Amino acid sequence: MMFPTLDPLLHSELRLAVVSLLIGMEEAEFPYIKEQTGATAGNLSVQIEKLSSAGYITVDKGFKGKRPCTLCRITPEGRKAFEDYVKALKSYLVKPKK
Amino acid sequence: MEEHENKEMTAQESLSLISETLNNSRRDITRRSGKYFLFWGALLTFFSLLVYLLWTITGNPAWNCLWFAMPAVGIPLERFMRRRKESERVQNDVSRINGGIWAAFGFFACAVSAFTLLFYELNDGIITNLAVAFNLTPEIALLFGLAECISGFTLKNWVIKIAGFVTGIGGLALYYITGAEKEQMFIFAFAGLVLVITGLIVKHQYK
Repeated sequence: MMFPTLDPLLHSELRLAVVSLLIGMEEAEFPYIKEQTGATAGNLSVQIEKLSSAGYITVDKGFKGKRPCTLCRITPEGRKAFEDYVKALKSYLVKPKK
Repeated sequence: MEEHENKEMTAQESLSLISETLNNSRRDITRRSGKYFLFWGALLTFFSLLVYLLWTITGNPAWNCLWFAMPAVGIPLERFMRRRKESERVQNDVSRINGGIWAAFGFFACAVSAFTLLFYELNDGIITNLAVAFNLTPEIALLFGLAECISGFTLKNWVIKIAGFVTGIGGLALYYITGAEKEQMFIFAFAGLVLVITGLIVKHQYK
């Protein structure tokens, strides 16, 4: 049985956690993602940048009052990649028919 | 979660991570919305008792106009609360629907109250034609009960559904049975307590 290839960008624990988090909501600020994933700011920034470069998420940098505010949102491409990834994962778990 | 950037995951581990992350964030965001129920509930109870007190002392029902101060105080305070917490700008389906329901309730309650001002008749500073103003209580109680009941459905909580029904229908019945005047403020004070209880349930249920 041939298994579909898993998207390497999503098949990483932290990036997958970020995308899973954003799938369930409209938008999330960087501190919230950091809080939920328990990642360090540096590592999280790198992974967010990778997801953003792939077009899976958008990152808006602005200000909330005087404080800088980084807002992340999932894109339709990101949503589609996530759905394909979950579909591929499921195929790994299905027992082959004898 | 620790740093696992390069950790190889099995299919089962990946699915567990997705499921766990989705569930945790859903619970977390819904739990956070609990404090806004608490806040608005406390504010509603405070204003109800304040209007009752001033109405009783002065005998002037014009103190009902103080209701307009509630959103004027509450909305900026709520914004301040959201700004103060660094990671507060997150929403999921449940928090968005609940926010929409209560924003719609606030809009209708304010609009219908503002509309009654058109029917005021002042006589030496005292409102004399209160027919329309007084009839607001059952309408607003009903609107409140409806909003609370829908919140109960979105939060999948029977206590909140029943509390909505009791406040809406109970408030309506109480108004027509007792025909009370300033005592109607207790209906709103009770509604405020219902919101506080809702907030506590949400915080506890999604802990």
